[in-house]
Amino acid sequence: MIFNIQRFSTHDGEGIRTIVFFKGCPLRCSWCSNPESQSFAPSLMYDSRLCRNFLECIATGSEAVKRGVNGIEIKETSDSEIIKLKDICPSRALVVSGEEKSFSDILSEIGKDIPFYRASGGGVTLSGGEPLSQGPALTDLLTELKHRNVNVAIETSLHVPWENIERCINLTGTFLADLKHTELSKFSRFTGGDASLVMRNLKRLSELHDDIIIRIPVIPGFNHTKNEIEEIINFVLSLKTIREIHFLPYHNLGMGKYRMLGIENSFESVKKVETEEVAGYINYAESKGLIAKSGG
Amino acid sequence: MLQKTITDIVSDRMSGLRERVMRAKPSVCTERALFYTRAYSENEDQPVIIKRALALEMTLKGMSVFIDDGELIVGNQSSNHRAAPIFPEYAVDWLPAEMDELAFRPGDAFFITEEHKKELTEIAAWWKGKTLYNKGRAIMSQELRDLQDSSIIKATGNLTSGDAHIAVDFYKILSAGLNGYLGEIEDYHSQVKRSEQEGVRKDHFYTALKISIRAFQSFILRFHDLALEKCSTEKDAKRSGELAFIAANCKVISERPPENFYQALQLVYFVQLILQIESNGHSVSLGRMDQYLYPFYKNDIITGRLTDEFASELLENTWIKLLSINKIRPWSHTQFSAGGPLYQNVTIGGQNSDGSDAVNELSFLILHSVGKMKLTQPNLSVRFHKNINEGFLLECINLISKGFGMPAFNNDEVVIPGLLKLGVEREDAYNYSAIGCIEIAVPGKWGYRCTGMSFLNLMRVFLATLYDGLDKSTGKTFYKGIGSFDGFESYDDLFKAWQHQIKYYAGKTVEIDTAVDTAIEEYVPDILCSAFVDSCISRGKTIKEGGSKYDFVSGLQVGIANLGNSLAAIKKLVFEEKKLTWKQLIDAIESDFDGKEGEKIRYMLMNFAPKYGNDDDYVDLLLRDAYLEFIYELEKYHTTRYGRGPIGCRYYAGTSSISANVPSGAVVSATPDGRKAYTPVAEGSSPSSGTDILGPTAVFKSVSKLPTEKIMGGVLLNQKLSPSAISSESDKKKLASMLRAFFCDLKGWHVQYNIVSRETLMAARKDPENYRDLIVRVAGYCAFFTTLSPDTQDDIIARTEQTL
Repeated sequence: MIFNIQRFSTHDGEGIRTIVFFKGCPLRCSWCSNPESQSFAPSLMYDSRLCRNFLECIATGSEAVKRGVNGIEIKETSDSEIIKLKDICPSRALVVSGEEKSFSDILSEIGKDIPFYRASGGGVTLSGGEPLSQGPALTDLLTELKHRNVNVAIETSLHVPWENIERCINLTGTFLADLKHTELSKFSRFTGGDASLVMRNLKRLSELHDDIIIRIPVIPGFNHTKNEIEEIINFVLSLKTIREIHFLPYHNLGMGKYRMLGIENSFESVKKVETEEVAGYINYAESKGLIAKSGG
Repeated sequence: MLQKTITDIVSDRMSGLRERVMRAKPSVCTERALFYTRAYSENEDQPVIIKRALALEMTLKGMSVFIDDGELIVGNQSSNHRAAPIFPEYAVDWLPAEMDELAFRPGDAFFITEEHKKELTEIAAWWKGKTLYNKGRAIMSQELRDLQDSSIIKATGNLTSGDAHIAVDFYKILSAGLNGYLGEIEDYHSQVKRSEQEGVRKDHFYTALKISIRAFQSFILRFHDLALEKCSTEKDAKRSGELAFIAANCKVISERPPENFYQALQLVYFVQLILQIESNGHSVSLGRMDQYLYPFYKNDIITGRLTDEFASELLENTWIKLLSINKIRPWSHTQFSAGGPLYQNVTIGGQNSDGSDAVNELSFLILHSVGKMKLTQPNLSVRFHKNINEGFLLECINLISKGFGMPAFNNDEVVIPGLLKLGVEREDAYNYSAIGCIEIAVPGKWGYRCTGMSFLNLMRVFLATLYDGLDKSTGKTFYKGIGSFDGFESYDDLFKAWQHQIKYYAGKTVEIDTAVDTAIEEYVPDILCSAFVDSCISRGKTIKEGGSKYDFVSGLQVGIANLGNSLAAIKKLVFEEKKLTWKQLIDAIESDFDGKEGEKIRYMLMNFAPKYGNDDDYVDLLLRDAYLEFIYELEKYHTTRYGRGPIGCRYYAGTSSISANVPSGAVVSATPDGRKAYTPVAEGSSPSSGTDILGPTAVFKSVSKLPTEKIMGGVLLNQKLSPSAISSESDKKKLASMLRAFFCDLKGWHVQYNIVSRETLMAARKDPENYRDLIVRVAGYCAFFTTLSPDTQDDIIARTEQTL
């Protein structure tokens, strides 16, 4: 399931790229800027600012919506009730995020910008959600892209069974691998996942693939301290081949989406991290012989 | 290394001059009008061509000449910087009617004194019934006049001014010199057979040519005299030396070919100036300046007579002088040309005829000097091709990032094959240049108006298609249809009705052009301009009579994106998904989407149907097919020069619609793409405002699906980028690679960039005084934002801001 295909992205990998956002993620990071990407099922998003009270959604009889004081309210319900609302709202205040797309549909969308990839040294970035949770058919897409000579990067949490990674290794140009924390309890508390799985996978991957960029989100209250980041960097130093480290300063651009999904978010009031705040981390990484920078 | 390191610092004299010209309030100058009126009334018995030569002579000998402080390149169009001369022989009736309002126009205001108003009232009285506008309207059928009055086809600009949209043969001017022309004219004149009717006409033409060239020479000599006079009283020794130099230059080029770069540039400027005193047609363009000036530049550099700094200063001076030229248009036409531009294009880059890259040191210098001046003139175009110098391309992007919309790119990879297909010789095709905004022609070999004839309002035609040919705005049925919306049972029915209507209107645009051309040929022939275009002298014909080597023209079609989006919305929502009935749709557009129901339908039209600009074949191909119906029809017609000498004499399509999208939208009620009544339609070939939501690559893909090789009048694409979008080196490289893909792989025709943030524009709208120098791309040209009317300002602000 896909929730977005974004063309002309210039800040996630080399050159001009198309990013395919897969829906569904094994983790639940508190700071997640794409909360609609977490569920493997369609999600309903409602932007009250756009609502014109046409009430086409209510007219469908779907249980996922009811009339509110101003506009409508959305309710948790089954997938089938959500799907009833697809392409119903004329003003696009209510949208169903997530669409089953065949790999050939995805491929034809990706293919549209091939001339731009060629000219700029760009390609395709698979992102999410977690693209490596998409099941074995993902390799069909990767095989076809390799066949068409399109460069592929995969953004991944590596929080997946090793087999999911292994079958993609020879079909992937660059792995943009997240390394959020090395401390098990903190990782678990903020993401609901297991850091040891990530570290184990990363270690194995680095022995088999030589184009890995480590991405460290810098999150206040989670890992934004000298000690914690240095620990993460020290772990990276133990890996075989790592091309670069990218620090991704926390931003709060995704906060509106929580409201649109009707879910609470504990990061609501957390301020974004300025680029200058990661300068020290970059210095530390560089002092250890790594190539490091801020941003993707 | 072709690239030169030139300082970014503007010399005091150039910055002073720039400031004076920028600050000069646009005003009206009556000198030319007085001389032309006198010459016409004193020579009423003379053939029109002689009369016009004598009028030009009287003007050039009698008008004020001045040399401003610090000027190195001299020559003035009127009594003051940015004072617009009046050209009564084209149209003057509008002036007494509008002159009290001139200073208070919402955009493009002109200052006018009470004394000038009085003079102009008298002048207008003399010209009553005698102007091109009067006579041109008179020879049109009632139907053609009605069509123009209905605003479906607009051609006012063509009867209120000359043609222009041309670049003359600067190679020949610089190598032959003015005496060279006189010699050639004399040769042909002496062979004229006065026993033949044709010979009598040619005799007049050659006589007029000689009068005009000699008048031109004496005009140049007036600057020689003035410079000497100023030199003798000048206290500053350095300035006195410069004035002596100016005098010497003028002396040489008044007769002979220029001997160096400085003289060559001065002669080029004089020619550019004189063409805009002879006629008030705009888009008089300078052609491939980096090519024809290069031998002079190179020779001077090798011999040590010229430094790059001085060459740059001379170029800067020339750009300021181009800005000092001005034109006043009736308000009805002003709206189509917001910002009062003259579209004086300079083209650089491109290829040599063997396909090698033509970029040279002078290309860099011109690019750089235009960047230093940051003015609206010249309109700088770069010819892109696959082997273009990468450093040069990056320099172009650097200039783009400075945010005044230049340079624009034209693509050799589609233009040259297109020209060859039209029958243009190889050598000539490789030597094309941009004219005005984005149009193209072979300098010195092409007739007038490679684009710029009538504007066709596609959406009015489309709405008439829905009502069996009835134009609801006027209540007139110009051409009975083959059915109306309630009878269309399939998309195919709708499309057939469109075919039926658009063929009629295509024919009518040509009929209007033919009437205009006939009137211009007969009543206001250009003489000097014809002298400088191959093969007018040898054929003994003006350009309008068939003197030029090639002749292709294009009209302008406005509302391209709206047409595609309307077709797609109807096909999808009415015929395929049946989400709307015809009645619902028609009620909604007739009420301008009034009420809750109307609003809902408007949102459905906007959001439930594909939009041009998002690389969606569904809409892109509907648009292409609908536009092709117009193009195929147009190809059946010939210009008035057909069979009289030039190659071609045909029409092709064009979308270089300048700011016409605003006034064109102002006469169109609501449309099925969800556009509200009387708001602007889409500009050029760009997507409708705010509808291109997938970024620039998708826009490029959509645009390239148009039949670009048939739209030789230009496929105008305007993209807006925020300044932050190309601040880093890596962003600039990405933009460069995107351009390569667009031009080499997708065969895009043209693109230009507005690099300016929305916030800046909003601030400038509120506080114009502090944003006097803010330049935006309006469409094919740049304008000072604060001089634009609020409507046009809003339209620019509303256009999608792409981010890199």
